[in-house]
Amino acid sequence: MLVPAVIGMSAHSGLEGGELAAVVARGELIWAADQEGGGPHVFPDPDAPQRLTGFEVDLAELIAAELGVKARFQQGQWDRLPLLLGHPADCVINGIELLPERRRDYRCSRPYFAYGLQLIARRDGPPETVAQLATAGPAGRWRVGVLTGSAAEAYLRSHPEFEVDVIGYDGTIDSLEQVQAGVLDAALMDDCIFNFYADRFAGLRAAGRPFGGGYYTVLTARDTPQLSAAIDEALGRIIADGRLKTLYDRWDLGGRQQILALRDAAEIPAAPRRPLRELVAEMLPLLLSAAGMTVLLACLSFPLAILTGLGVALGRLYGPAWLRPLLTGFVEVVRGTPLMLQLYAIFFLLPKVGLALPALVAAVLGLALNYSAYESEIYRAGLKAVPLGQFEAALALGMTKWQALRHVIVPQAVRLVMPPVTNDFIALFKDTSVCSVITVIELTKRYSVLALSTGRIVELAVITAILYLAMSWPLSLLSRRFETGQEQRP
Amino acid sequence: MIDIVALSKARGGTRVLADVSLRAGAREVTAIVGPSGGGKSTLLRCLNGLEAFDTGTVTIGEHRMQPGPHPARLLERVRRDVGMVFQQFNLFPHLSVLENVALGPRVVSRLPRAEAHGMAEAQLARVGMAAFAAARPATLSGGQQQRVAIARALALGPRVMLFDEPTSALDPAMSAEVMETIVSLARAGQTMVVVTHDHAFARRAATQVVELVAGRITRTGPPADILGE
Repeated sequence: MLVPAVIGMSAHSGLEGGELAAVVARGELIWAADQEGGGPHVFPDPDAPQRLTGFEVDLAELIAAELGVKARFQQGQWDRLPLLLGHPADCVINGIELLPERRRDYRCSRPYFAYGLQLIARRDGPPETVAQLATAGPAGRWRVGVLTGSAAEAYLRSHPEFEVDVIGYDGTIDSLEQVQAGVLDAALMDDCIFNFYADRFAGLRAAGRPFGGGYYTVLTARDTPQLSAAIDEALGRIIADGRLKTLYDRWDLGGRQQILALRDAAEIPAAPRRPLRELVAEMLPLLLSAAGMTVLLACLSFPLAILTGLGVALGRLYGPAWLRPLLTGFVEVVRGTPLMLQLYAIFFLLPKVGLALPALVAAVLGLALNYSAYESEIYRAGLKAVPLGQFEAALALGMTKWQALRHVIVPQAVRLVMPPVTNDFIALFKDTSVCSVITVIELTKRYSVLALSTGRIVELAVITAILYLAMSWPLSLLSRRFETGQEQRP
Repeated sequence: MIDIVALSKARGGTRVLADVSLRAGAREVTAIVGPSGGGKSTLLRCLNGLEAFDTGTVTIGEHRMQPGPHPARLLERVRRDVGMVFQQFNLFPHLSVLENVALGPRVVSRLPRAEAHGMAEAQLARVGMAAFAAARPATLSGGQQQRVAIARALALGPRVMLFDEPTSALDPAMSAEVMETIVSLARAGQTMVVVTHDHAFARRAATQVVELVAGRITRTGPPADILGE
């Protein structure tokens, strides 16, 4: 096992001139994509879901064959695919639009696909065209969904004159679902994606013609010039001998139009690299406001989680017999399923039964629900730690069970569990980052968007980490104070 | 005031109290003595409904408790008339001495805070603890805690007071203080029932002594008859 591991390491070390040889020696071209991004690019085969299919799966195999190796797929989250370059992936082939920023930060192959941007709306509602987004819709600003980090998002954000709230999703189907459910007014995406899914969304229509657009490119790391050149040459051969046209015709992507568009593709210059100080001055307010969202999420959801958790704990210990198994079931289900899945269910599945919650509300509810299960266990332990004699003394005074709990047992339990509860508050602070799956842009999401659009991955990571520390440090101090306060109390 | 008739109780198949009958009137101090595990504390806990019993009846004033679980409203009424002081005092550690005493009047009698505090101060003065109103229970000696527990039980104006081993955690000087408090409360018209191992205490404070062995009353009478001089 040791020998292949060593070879694998050297393959990723980016030795000058050795990277192509390393790929060949390994016998595999590792290409990264996100199958959640969907068709027609890369998606699970409906007939055999454990297998991937899509025009880029075929393309990756063609390119790998040209290099004399096999293609191996590497899953990643779409807006973070470039981070996989160097380790563990050799290249990214997944509808990556050729943009000046990408040319600055990575090596971009010659174009392999031409796309246009398509606005999608419900059949029975506005908007009719993109131009209409410049004036407010019937319900104020338009709510338009995009794939986070995509050219569609960049397009909308670069048009401040649009009366649009841009909402970023991790998958393209999610935004189509949300338009159909009435949560969004419209979605903007590459035309080939909507063409592929149009049959599944009978209630949606293309609003206006495709516009803007550009080309897809194969991304490789800056320090792999040989691999990059080899991929370019491979693409050239695949285009010249007609195999790419055949591939696109097979996927119903208009092979001839594609080849003509690729022939006319103009060179796109690399964006200039901006000085760090200027960048920080521009990015810091964005990061700070995202940090504000993190604080808001934590401070709204945690009190809810505490109250619900305390209620669940009291119900399990002192409630009627029929309630106890229900509450135990609640705790087990919530603790036993991932927070991300719960958020997803609240935000994407509730609209299907007619309950469409705003993303912030869904995020707060999801976090509160998830943490209430953990808090209830802490409170249960705290309540059980209060001696039985305390309960009896309260009853002997003539208090009812609930009066005894309220005035005698709960206040003591709350003091006992203060340190672990504060600890959980710090954990929740960081778990707010999961809310990005339901379009809430908090600190981690903002970081990842900015880092990829500016190429300053490390510098912005340091700033983001400092912001998180600045938020959780006071809580740690608070927690420590509770603990020492408790030790001093005899 | 207290009339126990043919009270029996089993726990897990073992008989804890067997056919216990007992009367205790106002201005009387009834001491229940006997070996450990004889059912003394259980009998006391049956008197304020902290434990249910299997057969017999317990009548306290106009309240009559029947075998089996007691209705919540009956328990509230009984407990308002019956104060209890626990062996370990069971003061509320998160509240000050004053709040410990005021909590019952405030929550159970629903008195306004100021009035409840005034009443609590009066009770603390009665047991000589007024100076410690702001202290936390954990900072007090055993005897002081005992007196706060008595003040807490008195604050609701009970007609019956139950004491579970009131002197077991106290040194002789403190025992004497507590005994004086109990005797003076009895003189003021209350019915007192005291579970105790302390025969010297029983001899000096009690008006009648009941000996409980293995859940049965073996002897009842004046202290001198049961415990000797």
